[in-house]
Amino acid sequence: MDPVRKVDFDSEACGSQAPKSKPCPRPKPGEAAGGCSFDGAQITLLPIMDAAHLVHGPIACAGNSWESRGTLSSGPSLSQYGFATDLNDSDIIFGGEKKLKESIDYIAGRFAPPAIFVYSTCVTALIGEDMDAVCKEAGDRLGIPVVPVNSPGFVGSKNLGNRLAGDALLQYVIGTGDPEPEIPLGVNLIGEYNIAGEMWDIEKLMNSAGISVTSRITGDARYKEITWAHHAKVNMVVCSRALLGLAREMEAKYGIPFFEGSFYGAKETTYSLRQMAYLMNDREMERRVDRLTEREESRLAQDLRPYRKMLKGKKAVLYTGGVKSWSVISALKELGVQVVGVGTNKSTEDDVRRIADRVGDDTEYIPEGGASRILKTVRERKADIMIAGGRNMYVAMKEQIPFIDINQERHKAYAGYEGLLRLAKELTYSLANPVWRLAASPAPWDKGVPYDR
Amino acid sequence: MTVNKRKKPASVNPIKIGQSLGAVLALQGCYRAMPLIHGSQGCSAFPKALLTRHFREPIAVQTSALQEMDVIFDANRNLEEALNIVLSKHRPDIIGIVGTELTDVAGVDYVTMLKSYKRERNLRGGLAFSVVLPDFRGSLESGFSATVEAMMDELIQQVGHRGSRTVNTRQITLLPGSFLTPADVMELKEMISAFGFEVIAVPDISTSLSGHLLTGFSPLTRGGVPLDSMLQSLQSGLTIAVGASMERPARRLHNALGTPYKVFSGAMGLKASDELLHFLHQISGEPVPLRYCWQRENLLDSMLDAHFQFAGMSAVAALEPDHLYSVSGWLEELGVEQKALISSFETPVVDGMEREVWVGDLDDAEVLGKGADLWISNSHGISGAARIGAAFMPAGFPVWNELGAYMSVSVGYRGAMEWSNKAGNLLMQREAGHRESSIRHR
Repeated sequence: MDPVRKVDFDSEACGSQAPKSKPCPRPKPGEAAGGCSFDGAQITLLPIMDAAHLVHGPIACAGNSWESRGTLSSGPSLSQYGFATDLNDSDIIFGGEKKLKESIDYIAGRFAPPAIFVYSTCVTALIGEDMDAVCKEAGDRLGIPVVPVNSPGFVGSKNLGNRLAGDALLQYVIGTGDPEPEIPLGVNLIGEYNIAGEMWDIEKLMNSAGISVTSRITGDARYKEITWAHHAKVNMVVCSRALLGLAREMEAKYGIPFFEGSFYGAKETTYSLRQMAYLMNDREMERRVDRLTEREESRLAQDLRPYRKMLKGKKAVLYTGGVKSWSVISALKELGVQVVGVGTNKSTEDDVRRIADRVGDDTEYIPEGGASRILKTVRERKADIMIAGGRNMYVAMKEQIPFIDINQERHKAYAGYEGLLRLAKELTYSLANPVWRLAASPAPWDKGVPYDR
Repeated sequence: MTVNKRKKPASVNPIKIGQSLGAVLALQGCYRAMPLIHGSQGCSAFPKALLTRHFREPIAVQTSALQEMDVIFDANRNLEEALNIVLSKHRPDIIGIVGTELTDVAGVDYVTMLKSYKRERNLRGGLAFSVVLPDFRGSLESGFSATVEAMMDELIQQVGHRGSRTVNTRQITLLPGSFLTPADVMELKEMISAFGFEVIAVPDISTSLSGHLLTGFSPLTRGGVPLDSMLQSLQSGLTIAVGASMERPARRLHNALGTPYKVFSGAMGLKASDELLHFLHQISGEPVPLRYCWQRENLLDSMLDAHFQFAGMSAVAALEPDHLYSVSGWLEELGVEQKALISSFETPVVDGMEREVWVGDLDDAEVLGKGADLWISNSHGISGAARIGAAFMPAGFPVWNELGAYMSVSVGYRGAMEWSNKAGNLLMQREAGHRESSIRHR
């Protein structure tokens, strides 16, 4: 396979950095599902594990959302603390800037984080708090970066929030530091959030091929390593919809080539590793990658054999967003599972094109959310399993449909070769579970057969 | 005694939860209902995700999906659009419009809007009401009780006031507080009906969030109290509220219809259960059923068994006000020292407690509860409990680190026994862990 640079992405799509990008579609009242921009900004930045993340607003935005994601840390856990200015009525009337300033000082004094991210919310945006000024003043005074993240919920969707978080990183973080001398330069992983520890599997693979990770943006990241992201040789965009713009901007500003890739499925993983080595322009590394991927793929093929037998010909409906919408299709295809329905509501035009490349003509596209819509597809296409996010998990349970959680709350890592094996196992366990048969059969007294023993 | 607050500008590891989530929870206990949150997308997405995680059930909720420009120009246009879609697509029996801090600060008048909407569309047969719940006041508990209150108001309006009803003295309306699990509500219903009463719980999460596969998936709530039962509940001869926060809706019924009410601040532990059963015995004239006499014996016996475990132990509890009151009373009966009690916000109940209560967060629990053996809070408290080396006992909302939390019983003798055993087991495991580690490190 000859690696090719992907340059034909759609700069018009929502989620790109281009100034004339068309706006993300407006969420429909009464039919909207999914989070807001504030949610999106947190998804991107909370995995910076050693930083403090302070929510400026009334309690609900922080109180209802902290500790809601399955992103794991290999060390510091300050980002798992829930910090909020917790505004009350009088703060709203007289302004919350003073409280914000005091909160920043308090956090800096007590927890000594390397940086503080401050998130605006609908209310603080509405009453016109000058968060940027407070952050700047506090940062200067305290001598640590205090980064304002202007992504209140009402500016739009979760994806827009991811993008705004990327903007904040570009504006305030990337390019402000230099790597420690012993750190070898390599690849930035952009848009990999270390859900259930996936990042660790990926890193292990990369390291076996001699490729080092320069900055994690932002799964299991440390603040410092993002400040020197501009020294990397290659950017890999793992979740393209939201942070493609970040990579594009870094290419323009620092000349770092980038590519979009995924680690779901053996083929995608191999492609991504090859692409890294190719863009690093290192023949020796390319050879190492070839040897590694060959070895891993053949071992995986061996390990997968019993599961492939079980999974062959099974049908799945996949309802997820962003990069997973197409990359998981490849992974499932490798396992012999046919994708008969796929959600496209959070996909870019480019994602949709990639989906089209990977599925058959009779696969149904599910453009808009709503559990009923997904269920309809599952029923009509006689799917054996539903693969979606935690929000839809219990919808599937109620309809007695086997289910695999693929989104941020899950506890299983599916990336890389190891991940594909894990996915195969999970699919098999779920499909083969005796509970489906038990739940489908009525109580003995409802069967109409008399008890005679 | 006293209510204190630690001096610190920021909330660190909050236990407080947005009031609107309380509203969504209350509406889950009504059949074919749809809560509609008037705010931005996140205002409904977060509660939905959190409630789903706790109850492990699909949660019905919709949003008016406000965006910046909608807030500036006309937020109610979104609400109207949302109402149109929800009504035409799902035909709910009950719609609760929940205002957020966003609509509150922006000064959106959706109360009047809803009135004219109802007039124009000639909405009949259903129940549509609104409730104002900004998140900079109160917490889950106040959001829940305010929603029930608003619901009661609307019911009363539909049926008319005093004199227009026939009183059924064998029927009791139960108003269960937000801290009660579906299994708790079920237990309370059983206890009351054991004395020959018909019980209508409003709302009734025991039949909606306790887990059932009967009707498959629906975007509306499944289970819960149907609207006609709610209307019928206005004929009850008595209202029993469990949790002081439920006194306000009970008072509404009293003021409008003259229904007498009795408030039980809690129903957890020996004394509280005794009080409830004694009361039921008295008003019904029926003997206390044998099974409760047995359960009382069982509880006392298990308390005796456990008292070795609890002797000399101390606890820290961080919960919603009514829940904190109940748990504190239960700890008292076990003879556990109460190192620190932390409430999410201030209410008359915590004001009136005989112990020192702090209004605060889980960080306060960590600081004030240093040295405690047992930590009682929602699942957010796991890491704090680990940091101070206390055994962690999940309670309240949200609990995600344990299966079946929503089916655990805390009320009645059975509930007190379940809790005592659970807490005692946790302390026993912790002790065993200590012993093991001391061997290893020798």
